[in-house]
Amino acid sequence: MLLAALAWLAPAAAVAPGPPAKVRVVCTLADLAALAREVGGPDVEVVNLVDAGQDAHYVDARPSLMLPLARADLLIINGLELEIGWLPPLQRGARNAAILFGAAGFLDASTAVRPMQTPGTVASRSQGDVHPAGNPHYLHDARAAAAVAQAIGQRLAQLDPGRAARHRGRAAEVSAALSAFAEAQRKRFSTLPAERRRVVVYHQSLVYLLDWLGLEQAAAIEPLPGIPPNPGHIAKVLVTMRAQAVPAVLQEPYYPRNAAETLARLAKAKLVVVPGGADVDRGESYLVRIRRTVEAIHVALR
Amino acid sequence: MTCAVVHPIAAAGSVRGRGRSAPAWSPARWVAILLCLGHAPWALAQPVALPAAATGDAADQAELERALSRDADAAGSASAATPAPNPAGPAASATNWRTILPDISLILDTALGAFIGAPRQTGAHDPAQSGFNLQQLEMHLESSVDPYLELQANLVFAQFGVEVEEAYGRTLAAPLGLQLRMGQFLTRAGRSNPTHPHAWHFADQALVNGKFFGGEGQRGLGAEVSWLAPLPWVVELIASAAMPNGACCARSFGGAQAINVGGPRDLAWNLRLEQFFDLSQRAALLIGVGGLAGPNSTGFWNRTEIAIADVMFRWRDPTDAQRRAVTIQLELMGRRRQVPGRLLRDAGLTAQAVARLALRWEAGLRLEHVLGVADDPLDPSWSQDRTRSTAQITFYPSHFSRLRAQVAWDRRPAEARDGFSAFLAFEALIGAHGAHSY
Repeated sequence: MLLAALAWLAPAAAVAPGPPAKVRVVCTLADLAALAREVGGPDVEVVNLVDAGQDAHYVDARPSLMLPLARADLLIINGLELEIGWLPPLQRGARNAAILFGAAGFLDASTAVRPMQTPGTVASRSQGDVHPAGNPHYLHDARAAAAVAQAIGQRLAQLDPGRAARHRGRAAEVSAALSAFAEAQRKRFSTLPAERRRVVVYHQSLVYLLDWLGLEQAAAIEPLPGIPPNPGHIAKVLVTMRAQAVPAVLQEPYYPRNAAETLARLAKAKLVVVPGGADVDRGESYLVRIRRTVEAIHVALR
Repeated sequence: MTCAVVHPIAAAGSVRGRGRSAPAWSPARWVAILLCLGHAPWALAQPVALPAAATGDAADQAELERALSRDADAAGSASAATPAPNPAGPAASATNWRTILPDISLILDTALGAFIGAPRQTGAHDPAQSGFNLQQLEMHLESSVDPYLELQANLVFAQFGVEVEEAYGRTLAAPLGLQLRMGQFLTRAGRSNPTHPHAWHFADQALVNGKFFGGEGQRGLGAEVSWLAPLPWVVELIASAAMPNGACCARSFGGAQAINVGGPRDLAWNLRLEQFFDLSQRAALLIGVGGLAGPNSTGFWNRTEIAIADVMFRWRDPTDAQRRAVTIQLELMGRRRQVPGRLLRDAGLTAQAVARLALRWEAGLRLEHVLGVADDPLDPSWSQDRTRSTAQITFYPSHFSRLRAQVAWDRRPAEARDGFSAFLAFEALIGAHGAHSY
């Protein structure tokens, strides 16, 4: 009788007849959720775990995050160990075989992109909180997002074969739009004078963005990834900024802003707060969010 | 991964050798075959270049290779996990070795201690003497076993030996929202018992945990089943049974006296109901209730029961650049023990507040009160109540190390004077250490 009660309560038992159900997608990051929504369109139901305003390195593993995972058909993660500090206990606690590592319902979006800053043979934490598989912040790069959109489309097509063509078609559209945007912006930034194409960043989180737009990272405010800045290091960054006339400091909203504000003021540079991701609560698409990012940077550099 | 890739010797013997440069049954080939047998599951999953000598006929060999290749193609198209375009190719797949090697980490906890009054610490890994203390050197290993199970092991090295603190298998994909664990594990009784010193916010174990559970906390060889209810908020029900023995880790039950388990009544049983509520984007509440029951060491079917209620409130603005947070946790335990001619009742409360003040700084306060029992035949040293107040401040140079200064005032009317302690505790972690639960 107890078993019967369990079976009745279990979501697996509650298969509803009627029109084919939407694919339930859970994304760890806002940018992934925006892409999944665009690619899946009306055929998916997307839940996002970490808002764009939060640092995805440091997320509280709230048990309530297990609930969408428990009923998900597809989990899309950033990968490259960005979520390693909080996702594994949730993924395990959700007790959902469909989204475990290696399952069809598990997509590590980083497998679609070429990681930068792979440390090669030696990855040592004496170099800070490095990610041994490569820099995980590729979602600031529209080229990478285009590849991720394709990967999401392929995976949705597999999980939802009845609507495979629709998933693939939308993925191709999204991907093409992002690729075209990426190429146009790359050309536009290349027309900036070389001495205006230098920036200072807070964390090593914008390497893909800089690579895409042909910008050079003159310095980082963190002396090593994950190590907060000290006065000596900040002074060196200031010297670099003045010597190279660096026009802008870029950082995400969830990093401390005092050092960047002071540096920008002293070196007469502009501080650009780069969005951590798409504002999915307001329905912002990835293209709108990346355009917002790029415009803010262009205004500061031109 | 083919056998040939794993073992270069095998590749040399079976593929490049082709029976010409190497004799047909050279020692290298025997080694290769033994190694291949040892890795049969991997070898079968992938196309394998068969050694010519194994079939004796080139045409047969070609036929078999074609068949294996068709099998591999079929397996590839059936597995739905590969189609993402990957311009990086080898660069991305080069990280796959990590899925075969377990995650291994080593955590060192040491402390400089100073005591006024005799040290009366109840935790086995507490700093327990004036001067330097090795609290523990913890080695944690974890990995998936197969598609169904993972293994977690926590081996703790002290200066003069090693103990298996935890070692259990856990299901990955049990149906109906269930999860099973089997092996040696810390009982999920209350909030702090199932956690390791590395996750604690104070340099020592709570007094009541030491008194009721033992210096290592409540744990034992056993099995656990837990169920995540399909409800709109988090409700987890946990039930476990474990061996009731060990002064270290089943102090209220068999303790140092071995109990021969003759049936389910002789095991230490645990039941817990845990609920979690998102109060807002910043505030969260976790509430647990449950209890333990099992035989105790006085014989005559005498039993011990422990009831536990705990509540944790956590406030954190997830967008705050300094990652400031406040966590308040209360844990209340009541116990009754049947002993010949008496029923002994006692209780203990642990209340703590921990604040993350800035990126690298944390401070905490803990208040504890534990009741004593006059003429307690099982625990004569706890004849009176004990109250301890503790304060700590911690500096985190990085995510992987910490330096903690802690002072405590221990009021113990049973002794002539109160105890005072001060610790300077240092922790360092290397390797890949699994994320902690909330």
